[in-house]
Amino acid sequence: MVNSGGQLFTIEGIAASLIMLATVFIVVNTTSVYTPGDTHINDMQLEVIGSDALKMMNTPENGSVGKSPLALIVENDNQTAFYTIFKNTLNNRTGTQSDTIQFRADVSYINATGVLNSTSLNRSRSLYGGEHAVHISQWIIVDKTTGSGILPDTVNGKHAALVEVLLWRD
Amino acid sequence: MARLKDDTAQWIVLMGFIVSFSLFFLAIVLNQSTVVGQTTAEAVSEFPKEDIRGVRNVVIQSMFMDTTDQTRVQNEIRNLSLSRQDAVVSFSHTHDPIGPQSYYFIHYNNGVSAYNETWTFP
Repeated sequence: MVNSGGQLFTIEGIAASLIMLATVFIVVNTTSVYTPGDTHINDMQLEVIGSDALKMMNTPENGSVGKSPLALIVENDNQTAFYTIFKNTLNNRTGTQSDTIQFRADVSYINATGVLNSTSLNRSRSLYGGEHAVHISQWIIVDKTTGSGILPDTVNGKHAALVEVLLWRD
Repeated sequence: MARLKDDTAQWIVLMGFIVSFSLFFLAIVLNQSTVVGQTTAEAVSEFPKEDIRGVRNVVIQSMFMDTTDQTRVQNEIRNLSLSRQDAVVSFSHTHDPIGPQSYYFIHYNNGVSAYNETWTFP
């Protein structure tokens, strides 16, 4: 070949195209699109709000050694009180517009034969399966007395129970 | 560039490189910011902070009951932790033979996180 200039241009062109291709590949690869749901940040925040609300209900009034409002609600099977307190704690905001957090609460306990059982406490909406819910729970100790209908199939006396709540946003 | 003789063109090429590299690094920074949020949120959600606190509270409450209630409640705590929180919980206590103290040993393990505590009373 008389003139080697063309070869130099070809090599340079190939090198440049490889560099550009690699850059495009790396850039497209690194900026993969995360939707907010992928990052679980919303889940974490919802979990914190929910467990704070539930923990607040599980604190005895005025720091006394008595039972917490949550334990009393379960002992008296007061589903309306649970609905009102929990829904307001979760959803009240500054201003008139309230938040839209929905919940479904159950009480899990061990029955007399040692088997796990669960009764419904209350819910703000039914679960249909499409909701992306987070799970929170609080331990309570309830005192079952004669004639009380709570925790079916258990003997009278003190029982450990777990208030379990599923939370999601509409 | 092959046979590039003009000084001005060299500057253009250099600036092109600088701009493309800075864009590339900005893309990496942007990418890392979302990943950092995700790993933080996952780490926070995975650690059973509230479960451990709850078990600790209810175990300590159960230590001050009369024997019939205590045996039943403590069995229920172990059973419920295992079935609803996927955690093995065990606890026991001893009295100091000379002092007034009681020592309560609380253990929690869900396979990922373990928690052990010796709680002294009074």
